[in-house]
Amino acid sequence: MEQALTVDQRWDLVDKITKETVEVGAYEPTLRDAIAGVTVRPLTGIPFAIAVLYGFWTFFGEFAGLFTDGFFVRIFGTHWIPWLAERLAGLPDWAFVILVGDRAVFAEEFLGDSCFAAGGVLTTGLFMPFGIVLWAVLALFLVLAILEDTGYLPRLAVLLDTVMHKIGLHGFAIVPTLISLGCNVPGVTACRPLETRKQRFMMIALLGVFVPCGAQIGMMEELVPGLIGWVFLTLAVGYLGFGWVLNKILPGESPEILMDVPPYQAPQWSNILRKTWMRTQHFLLVAVPFVLLGCAIVMALYTTGAMDAIAGGLEGFLATVFGVPASATPSLVVGFLRKDLAIGLLPIETMTNYQVFKSVILLTIYFPCLATFAMLLRELNWKEILGTLGFLVAMIFVFGGILNLIGMAGGW
Amino acid sequence: MMNHKSTFGSMFTVIIGIAALGFGILEFVGGEWGPLTVDAGMFTAWRAVILICAGLIYLSSVTNFLDVRQLGKTVVASIMIWIVAAMDIWAMIAASIPSGAEEAGEPWFASGTEFLAAYGPPYMPAMYLLLPSLVILYFVGRRRLAR
Amino acid sequence: MNKVLLMGQANVGKSVLFNHLAGAGATVSNYPGTTVDFDKGHMMLQGKKVDVIDVPGTFSLQPKDRAEEVAVKMLEKEKGATVVCVIDSSKVERGLYLALELIEKGHSVIIDLNMADVAENANIKVDTERLEDILGVPVVTTVAIRGEGLKELVSRMGEAMPAGIESITKRVGGKGGTSTHS
Repeated sequence: MEQALTVDQRWDLVDKITKETVEVGAYEPTLRDAIAGVTVRPLTGIPFAIAVLYGFWTFFGEFAGLFTDGFFVRIFGTHWIPWLAERLAGLPDWAFVILVGDRAVFAEEFLGDSCFAAGGVLTTGLFMPFGIVLWAVLALFLVLAILEDTGYLPRLAVLLDTVMHKIGLHGFAIVPTLISLGCNVPGVTACRPLETRKQRFMMIALLGVFVPCGAQIGMMEELVPGLIGWVFLTLAVGYLGFGWVLNKILPGESPEILMDVPPYQAPQWSNILRKTWMRTQHFLLVAVPFVLLGCAIVMALYTTGAMDAIAGGLEGFLATVFGVPASATPSLVVGFLRKDLAIGLLPIETMTNYQVFKSVILLTIYFPCLATFAMLLRELNWKEILGTLGFLVAMIFVFGGILNLIGMAGGW
Repeated sequence: MMNHKSTFGSMFTVIIGIAALGFGILEFVGGEWGPLTVDAGMFTAWRAVILICAGLIYLSSVTNFLDVRQLGKTVVASIMIWIVAAMDIWAMIAASIPSGAEEAGEPWFASGTEFLAAYGPPYMPAMYLLLPSLVILYFVGRRRLAR
Repeated sequence: MNKVLLMGQANVGKSVLFNHLAGAGATVSNYPGTTVDFDKGHMMLQGKKVDVIDVPGTFSLQPKDRAEEVAVKMLEKEKGATVVCVIDSSKVERGLYLALELIEKGHSVIIDLNMADVAENANIKVDTERLEDILGVPVVTTVAIRGEGLKELVSRMGEAMPAGIESITKRVGGKGGTSTHS
């Protein structure tokens, strides 16, 4: 060991070091740093976060509405679908049903919305991804890219850290969760910085079960706009509540997650547009084939009469456990492929509001879409996959059952 | 210690702070008063909370207005106003473009007069706060020049 | 390396830092035979789980009260630990005294200049590179309350190492000669 300094010698050394390294009056405090402080301190940061989320949703809603209601409902409903039905009228029945849809939709006396009612691969199958979902995910990806590039996303995580710690979760969870609202596939990828298997499993299971994706949200916005608030509230309760439960019962560690918190900066628009475009492109490649396949399967099941058989078999079960009519069966069948398609197939007109609400919740939690499931296979081991599936089966019964009981108690 | 006082700045925060607070409360009430309208949609309570909080943040930065921490708060409160106002404008833009017609043969886009009419009054409260809130840019710019 | 000790005076943002590093699974323990409490938790360091201890605040290693005594005892017990010396950036000289003591005792030290925001507001600028050159241990800047710089702190913990006080004395003033008067 070296010779220790005396107290005076040590102070002398401190003095010399500070003289060389510390300058008083040299630093200009920056506005950028002050803003960073204001946005993570809870008292001012939480109102600001509310404003940002308000902007997020309003922009998304108006953007999707402009394209879908402003143009695409007409493009498909008035022009493309009737034109196609006329052109292909000569096809044999089975082919017409699969490609275009139910002939009854094209009779004079039909008054409904042919975009959804037709159901064929080239009608509803194209309308849903290109008429509705594309605009929803485009808007979500755009806003997300802005939040990421300005540096707000990690700050939102820091802000939420204190609150989330109270239930044993981390503020970091907001990052994959917000990304999952665009699409669950990159959301699952965003879980990679999580340190332990327990954390990754928990987060991925919660995302897969409780976080609806942009495609689904777009469909909800189009079909059941009045219910979205309640759906989100219910899912958030499930997410936080069962996050807490999973954290308690799962073995393993849940250490802190450290993020880079870069300074605030003006976003580079070229970078934002590139990011948005790449994610949207990826979405189209993954989603469109499954939606088309889903339409084909559903219409094939209809023409062969198999759908009626399945619905008949499930009727009693659906009615007693969830209080949902058998007419929701087709929707549940394709829910395995695409959840946006599944919501599009819900027989909304024939159900009560509360039944629609329950069905939307069930569809959200019930199975991650095929693309997400493929991601799970890559990111988790088989034990964790079984765990995730077990969790979601449990959630379907717990959530569906509870909602059904609440509905019975409330007389809805 | 530098002098962080600015009479103009403090007056600005008091006035816009009270205005934002008042408009926030109006968002909770809803209704129409001449060129001012509060349409009670799905998000009206959200807007109310945002405007009220922005108002309070403004009012908390009246003293020592030019101090960087105080200035940071006014900038953040202004950004909150800008987000709400930008969304009001965005809703107008989105409503002004399509014609709304559904039959074949009808025009796809709104006519020139329809397009312009979409931007006329009445306006939402945040729109009235937008212009005055831009005053903050003057202070930010002056700060930047001073350095 | 299996333990990380956070050391520093009171009110340098040490507990906020601890919360960000190991807050979720933290437990409060009582040092045996005293009324002094300290926080203990885990964090991941280079893929390995390590203990993090928030040592009671201490001004120097010559204890003046029970809490400081505990701090010194804990430090002596954990010879092989990485010691994060947390310093208030606006009062560097106060924290440096403790840092020098830690270095003299031969601990593996990393210096965390925390509360950089407070220093900014007080117009104080610290030349971290020069400080690192002089001390011969890693020096990082953080604003724990805003979550900034924590990732760098953790990624550089591995570089923490003992340094010689003699060579510090030699290096200081080696450039510019500003230390001829005091």
